[in-house]
Amino acid sequence: MEQHGKWYWALHYFLLAAFVIFALFPLFWLLKVSVTPNDLLYGEGVRPWPSRSTADHYASVIAHSQFPLFFRNSVIVATTTAVFSTLLAAAAGYGFSRFQFRGKYWIVGLMLVTQMFPLVMIIAPIFSLLKPLGLTNSLTGLVIVYTAFNLPFASFLMQSFFDAIPKDLEEAAMLDGASRFAAFRRIVVPLTLPGLAATVGFVFTAAWSELLFALMLNSSSAASTFPVGLLAFVSKFSVDFGQMMAAGVLALLPVCIFFVFIQRHLVQGLTAGAVKG
Amino acid sequence: MSGVLKQVLLAACVLSAAQARADITLKLVEVLTSPERTETLQSLVNTFEKQNPGTHVEITSLAWSSSFEKLATMVSAGDTPDVVEMPDRWLSLYAKNGNLESLEPFLAQWSETKELNGRPMEMARLVDKTAYMLPYGLYLRALFYNKILFKQAGIAAPPKTMDEFRDDAKKIAALPGKSGYCLRGGPGGLNAWIMFGAAMAGNNIFFRPDGGSTLSDPGWVKGAAWMVDLYKDGLAPRDSVNWGFNEIVAGFYSGTCAMVDQDTDALIAIAERMKPDQYGVAPMPKGPSGKAYPTVGYAGWSIFKSSLHKELDWKLIKVLDDPAGNLIWNKRVGALPIYRAAEQAPFYSSDQLKGWFQELSDPDEVPTLMPTNLPGFAYFADSLVVRTSQQALLGQISPEDMNKQWAAYLTKAKKRELSGK
Amino acid sequence: MTAQPRPIKRRANWRDVSWRRAALAAEPYLYTLPSVLLICAVMIVPLVIGLSYAFHDVRLLDPTSGDFVGLEHFRELYADPAFWNALRNTVTWTVASVILQFGLGLILALLLNRLFPGRALVQLLVFLPWAIPSFLSGLNWAWLFNPVVGPLPYWLKALGVMAAADNLLSHPRHALWGPIIANVWWGIPFFAITLLAALQSIPADIYEAAAIDGAGPWVRFRRITLPFLAPTMAITILLRTVWIANFADLIVIMTKGGPADSTQILSSYIFTQAFQRLDFGYASAVATVLLALLLAYAMAVMALRAAIVRRN
Repeated sequence: MEQHGKWYWALHYFLLAAFVIFALFPLFWLLKVSVTPNDLLYGEGVRPWPSRSTADHYASVIAHSQFPLFFRNSVIVATTTAVFSTLLAAAAGYGFSRFQFRGKYWIVGLMLVTQMFPLVMIIAPIFSLLKPLGLTNSLTGLVIVYTAFNLPFASFLMQSFFDAIPKDLEEAAMLDGASRFAAFRRIVVPLTLPGLAATVGFVFTAAWSELLFALMLNSSSAASTFPVGLLAFVSKFSVDFGQMMAAGVLALLPVCIFFVFIQRHLVQGLTAGAVKG
Repeated sequence: MSGVLKQVLLAACVLSAAQARADITLKLVEVLTSPERTETLQSLVNTFEKQNPGTHVEITSLAWSSSFEKLATMVSAGDTPDVVEMPDRWLSLYAKNGNLESLEPFLAQWSETKELNGRPMEMARLVDKTAYMLPYGLYLRALFYNKILFKQAGIAAPPKTMDEFRDDAKKIAALPGKSGYCLRGGPGGLNAWIMFGAAMAGNNIFFRPDGGSTLSDPGWVKGAAWMVDLYKDGLAPRDSVNWGFNEIVAGFYSGTCAMVDQDTDALIAIAERMKPDQYGVAPMPKGPSGKAYPTVGYAGWSIFKSSLHKELDWKLIKVLDDPAGNLIWNKRVGALPIYRAAEQAPFYSSDQLKGWFQELSDPDEVPTLMPTNLPGFAYFADSLVVRTSQQALLGQISPEDMNKQWAAYLTKAKKRELSGK
Repeated sequence: MTAQPRPIKRRANWRDVSWRRAALAAEPYLYTLPSVLLICAVMIVPLVIGLSYAFHDVRLLDPTSGDFVGLEHFRELYADPAFWNALRNTVTWTVASVILQFGLGLILALLLNRLFPGRALVQLLVFLPWAIPSFLSGLNWAWLFNPVVGPLPYWLKALGVMAAADNLLSHPRHALWGPIIANVWWGIPFFAITLLAALQSIPADIYEAAAIDGAGPWVRFRRITLPFLAPTMAITILLRTVWIANFADLIVIMTKGGPADSTQILSSYIFTQAFQRLDFGYASAVATVLLALLLAYAMAVMALRAAIVRRN
């Protein structure tokens, strides 16, 4: 590490502080609105902190709304999607990384194409597809749809992680008589744990915040996720900002906690695969 | 009797009893959802379930902001409800596409049918002169005004004419940080343009006999220009070009703007946040012809043709919408009742609602129905009007230009309707 | 597949080899097939159906619609000023978002690439925006820009950027910057994470050798950092551009495409046409055009990347 002058570090810290403030300020405002009582919401809108703070919004969200149910549904859907996606993506990513086979570029191209159109276009066809299977208004249907949506990017991620692990490792194991799958499972996978964590993290975050399909495919509250629940605070008559922000803060907690654990692996994992690009 | 025969008979008895108790589930979808409405709906539904043992009603509450897309997606994929809350704007769409069951046979046999007010039933029969819905209430526009701001600006009474309205708005806009009118420049603003346009034009005729739209006539254009001037002269908040329902109501109860035109259901949100002596309701201000044309909307209940239990559906609607149910429901949702006798109910003589009843009894306040059954009206109101009115408010096009575009679109739609598309 | 040495024994081994060959040949498909099948079922088949709507008159809820209309929608689209407006806005939206996200993400990544006390904490904090759902973030930023309840209009006025403390989202010429800023806030972590990872994979000795040779920081950046980053950059930028072009959530929530369609992008326009006009045919036609444009862009970027890789 080279030596840097005072000015360098001053600039360094200044810029970092700027980034941190930029990142955190809106979240701070979210928190602020969630503790502002309804009657002060508009009157004291611009103050950095309300003159009288309240935990009422949190209380009503937890005790009087269906939020705990939505929250639970979101946890189920996001976790299941993350696990399935990562498993399937690991397999696909490994396939892309280790093999050259006929149709490979077609499949990769296909996956790329799936990222290129607005999902709004396929809502009606997907609904018609899932309805006869009884998968609308169910968490299972959502998991299937979300898994499919996240597979292309997750596979791409996993491919780059596997690319960073030299082929000789499995080949040595296979020469010793192990099947490729056993080599994959016992040697390659443990080495890519950071990458797996990174993929699980990306998919979890994406599934956690998805709104459009959760809204369109499911109508009963038993099958609604929390973004849909947030929408319910926007009724025809008013927007219950205090409660909505409180619900938003509550919903952020699991993702943030998740993030705390995996974000170090994210960078680590991506580092391993980044050289190949 | 032999043992086997007894057993068989017993089994048969149990089976037939089970058959009689076979649970039927009705799907009820509400679209103008709020937690309080759902609660009231649930209690009415409980009454129905008690009266009809073996029937269960599953309530699906769609968030209003996405309810149109949601219901459309569900219905187009075959996931149809049995009974649905039907706003006036959607009636012609679903009725014309053959989704709804005609309620005429049910109405013909119902004892309460003669108690219904003529006007709501007229509206219910807008499509093919058949009642495809049973309305539960009317939404009539009136003028909410902020008594405190009026006092501060030295105005004694709410404006009776459009000229007075403009003067009052000007006086209030002179107060620091305040505006006169909560203009709805965003989605849903069409009603105000129509009301003020009609008042200026002196009539609420939308179409000439040949199907041409009257909106490009000088009277209507003058009304549009009058509204654009309100914005241009700073009598409405700068931000209001983007305002939708929530913003205008919030603007009103936060004291940012002093006047807003709204229906009885806005009363719910406003009454929660303002004290009765802080606001009042007056009839819509009249135009130079001495008349005003407050717009009227309605909502009700419809039965889907695909339902397998139409008799039960009608029973459910009866519970929701008979004089007793209707009163309970309207107390909650804030619509004006559909029964003639209901207006005598003490609930409706409250101070707040006086303004509306004043309007209804004034012959120069002519409730105006929007042409919601025109094909393509939803796109007109939600997209074309929003875009062009914002352009006009911002000075990118002239009010004449805007009205010409509206007239062109509506004429095309009317011709399509007349030719029976 | 490398050739297997042919065994001398016949019958049993021939079948053995054949079976083994078939198994080996099938291996990659076994790994990739589950994913491919799921993607095809849930995304490709609906996509094809959706694309077919572009050539038919499909009106939601109208059972009598569905006639084949050929290129009618595309002709309509070509003459539709709202379409071209949305296309222009899409370009502005995408280019501004990507450049800002990338630029700021790169700076952040460079800052985080140095060891300093508290780095782990700082890293966590600056990556948080990524975890916020777009719906919530859109509402939050709309709230921040609203002069009645948010501080931004006053700050913008104090900085001289705006003449009066108005809502940026109501100015037709500048409204698009509201969602762009919200998008940048949300998207910087993505670039920062991937670029940081790429930066950390550059061996430190290369920098040291260059420093010994007398290369200054800017030269080192240009000659070492950028070329190393280039392959990652190309794919990341490609993916991000495509995602952003299709990402209408923030716009729909913050401005609904207004005022006067000044913030309408193709993606939100498609939503409007589909669900307000209930014209799925036209909406699908617009979506097809968007898809074609993005495909062309993707192929151009891939070609560029291949060229860079070859040069290195």
